[in-house]
Formats: sequence, C-alpha cells, structure tokens
Amino acid sequence: MEADVTVVGSGPAGLTAAIHAQQSGASNVLLLEREEELGGILKQCIHNGFGLTQFKIDYTGPEYAERLVQEVENTNVRCLLNTMVTDVSADRTVTAVNPDTGVFTIESGSVVLAMGCRERPRGSINIPGTRPAGVYTAGVAQRFVNIDGYLPGREVVILGSGDIGLIMARRLTLEGAHVQGVYEIMDYPGGLKRNIVQCLNDFDIPLHLSHTVTEIRGNERVEGVVVSRVNEDMRPIEGTEKLIDCDTLLLSVGLIPENELSKGAGVGLSPITMGPVTTETMETAVPGIFTCGNVSTVFDLVDYVAETGMTAGRNAARFASGEWSAQHETLDVVPGQNVRMLFPQRFSSHDDLVLFIRAARPVERPVTIDISPLDIHFKKLYARPNEMIRVKVPRARLTEITGAIEVSIAERQ
Amino acid sequence: MDVEKRHFTCVVCPVGCEVDVELRDGEVVSMTGNKCAKGKEFVLQELEEPMRVLTTTVPIKGARWAMLPVRTDRAIAKRLHFSAVQELASLELQAPVGVSDVIVTNIAGTGANVIATRTMKRHEDGKPA
Repeated sequence: MEADVTVVGSGPAGLTAAIHAQQSGASNVLLLEREEELGGILKQCIHNGFGLTQFKIDYTGPEYAERLVQEVENTNVRCLLNTMVTDVSADRTVTAVNPDTGVFTIESGSVVLAMGCRERPRGSINIPGTRPAGVYTAGVAQRFVNIDGYLPGREVVILGSGDIGLIMARRLTLEGAHVQGVYEIMDYPGGLKRNIVQCLNDFDIPLHLSHTVTEIRGNERVEGVVVSRVNEDMRPIEGTEKLIDCDTLLLSVGLIPENELSKGAGVGLSPITMGPVTTETMETAVPGIFTCGNVSTVFDLVDYVAETGMTAGRNAARFASGEWSAQHETLDVVPGQNVRMLFPQRFSSHDDLVLFIRAARPVERPVTIDISPLDIHFKKLYARPNEMIRVKVPRARLTEITGAIEVSIAERQ
Repeated sequence: MDVEKRHFTCVVCPVGCEVDVELRDGEVVSMTGNKCAKGKEFVLQELEEPMRVLTTTVPIKGARWAMLPVRTDRAIAKRLHFSAVQELASLELQAPVGVSDVIVTNIAGTGANVIATRTMKRHEDGKPA
C-alpha cells in the first residue's frame, strides 16, 4: 500500500492532522485507528469545556470528536479502523495489522505520529499494601461509567488532582457514589482551576493538598486506604496516618506519552516531555516523521492538541510533496528560569515559533515570558504549573538569531 | 443588621479570580478581587442561583455501547442536577439517535432540553461488528 501522508491515531490530534494534510494538497492521506470508531479518548470525555479557544463553542468531548469526524468524512481521507500499527521505520514504512488484510505495509511520503498518551498506573507510584480489586485509573473508571454503564464503586477515594480525577469526582457523585476526598501530594492542585470549582467545590468534595496514599488495605476488594501528610520533600510524615474506609481508589497521577512506535522509528525522546524532540513544524529528528498532540507532550486543552495537529498535517503534506526534503539547521529552544517544560525543543526557521510552556513553580503575580537573547517579552497575569502557557514568536523576529533560544518566566516588577 | 462575607472563584475564564463579597441583609455592599465585569456578573448569578450545564449519560438499547452521552442545551440550576439525573435514569432509549437530537424536553421543570452529544447508530443486539 502507498500513501502521501499516513497518520497513526484518530484522536483530536490525528483527525486534525489528516484534515489539514489533505487541505494542504496531499491527495492520498491514510488515517489508521486501532479502535472500531474514530475519535480517540474524546468519546468518553462526556463533560463540556472542549473547543472554547479553537471554535469559541463549549462542546462536550463526543460533540467535538463528531465535528472533526464529519470534517474527515467530507474529505477523501481513507480511514482504516480496527487497525493496529506495529512498526514505523525511519524510511517511513508503516507496518500495520487488521482483521481484513492481516499484516500489511504502507510506503508513505511522510508519517504523522498521533498515538496520544496513557495513564500512569499504580505500579509507577509504588503504593504499598495488598493488591485487591477496586483500584482503577481515573480514565478507566470514566470508560466504565460513560460508555459501558458500570459504577466502579460506592465509597471512593481519589489520589491525584489531575483533571480526569476531578472530572470523575463529579461524575461518580452524580451517579450516586460517595467521593470522600481528593488527595494530592503536591502543595498545589494538578488540574485546572475551573475543574476544582465545578467538580469539587460544587459538590463539597474536599481537596487535601500535601497528602498521599501510603497503604491500600483489603484482600478481595479494597476495604480502605491509609493517607498521610507529606513534608516538603514529599515524604510521608510519621504520625499523620489516617485510615479511610472505602471500596474504590481512583488514580489520577499523571499521563505518559505513548511512544513505543516513535522509539522504533529512531526519533529521539525528550526526558522532560517524554515525547519526541520536535521542531516548530512538528517534525521529529527523523526527516518526514512528524508528531502532534499528547504523544508529543501532555497538553491541558484539546485546542492546543488540535493546533499541533494542524501544524503537523500541513507540514507532513509539504514534506510528502517534496517541497522540502532536507532538514534545515535547527536552533535549540531551552528552558530558563522557572520553566519546567518547553515544547517544541528546536526551531528550524520554517514557521512561526508557537511555544508551550509549563512553569516549575506557581507565581500568583504578573509575570513576563522572556525570549532571550531577543528582546521579546510576553505579559501574563500569573504562571501556574497546572496551566500550560502558549505564546507565539513570529518567524520574522527569529531570523538573525544564532545559538540557543532561552525561555524563562520572571515576576514583573 | 445581618452582615455576611462570601468567597467565590470565578470560572468564566482561566484566570480564576478569587472574589470576596460582603452582604448586608442579603444585599451586596462590596465586591473585590474580580478583574472584569463578567466576573461580577458571574458572582451575582452565583449568589442568586448557581447555573451549570449538566452532562451525563442515558442507557440505550440496540446500540454498540450501553450508554448515550447527553447534556442540557443550556445551563440549569445546579441544585436541580440530581433530580435531572434521576429523571433521565428511568428512560429507555432505542438506537438510532443522532447528535443534538432532543432526548427529554423541559428537564426537571427547568425549561431546558436534554440533547444527545453523539450519534448512536442501530447495532444488532449491541454486539460488535
């Protein structure tokens, strides 16, 4: 099989990339999805708040997905469902398998990686105790409730204040479960402020900062968890243990980009984002292999995911058409003061540099985002680690620069 | 005179202003912390009647999946969310359903309609294709 552009994954990033690859002139775009429907995880995110920045409309996840799916159906993008990609090679050969064709390969002009991310499980945070039923990641519980119609438990404790955990606190409450509290190891919440208000405060669900679960009890089924306060080094403080009777523990302790295929292709991964090292065009270090959405770095908003999909799709079409084949010299984009995460990590002088920045520590006062060595400063009212900051540096401003571009966050005087 | 102090976090935009309100006999005498007029509007509405869009699911037969996601077509009083969910629990829907189809009119007496948020095609016995 052959394609101009092959897109792996049909969540918001992949759908947007496929649409924009086609609109940018790629006539043979192939979209591969391992599930039986397009749309990715949006299908189970039944709450609203999607697309506010992008469409100025307050969609639920399924509505947002359906809008993109309809757009794809109005193009001649070919969609293969139930199709699992098993390998992407550096020469842009994609190997996949599905029940109709068996194993097959696609020689592709360019490839867009849009596999998304997965949840960190219990094993990744090493909670001591027994191994009973009743411990779920928040996203798995979300799938049970919203698609399959099962309530995962009655008395619930949530560890981690990521957005999915907050959303599930409200969802389970509405479905008749009792959520005893959300416990967060950091001294600030992980999720968006609007979710703290609308999911916890609205339902009088307490949020306990600087706390963690130090033991899970129960043999067949969870019977309780022990929570403890933690010190500045995030170590549990002896004597602060408290037993909470519950039958369910939900984990909302972070997401990890799903990069098995990217590694196989030989793209380099960033130890900070856990996704491919990427230029502003969304091209990885392997020519013609692009990345977008949560496989690149975990975003807070679907609008940002779609924006990177747009860029990846457009540039994958340019690459496939032969408009640019050799990679330009790239400059490093490096984190400076109070910046924990920065995406993309390279600038190749093709496009405007749209930067996604995560602060290391919260600053609840006016700040500037400084782009050095240039005299470019963006003013923001605050910087919070749980809210990614987006700024756009026009390409024209970056023509004279040599050496690294450093991005830092400073309090405004 | 009855003086009451209340605190709100505005959710109109991501800034999330922390707004303090002072009430005297139920009347607002001061409001501080909001950076814009929309914040004031939000807090006044919160004082009168907090309003939210309700998103939930309804069981559906003859479809690939057991649950159909739905929402109210406008914000409804927060205090009516539980009765709205109860009213929806007794429904017996049949596929097919189209996105934006009205599932229930005037939910919990609010005047709002509940609409489907996805297309759910008819599917043999709900078994996979």
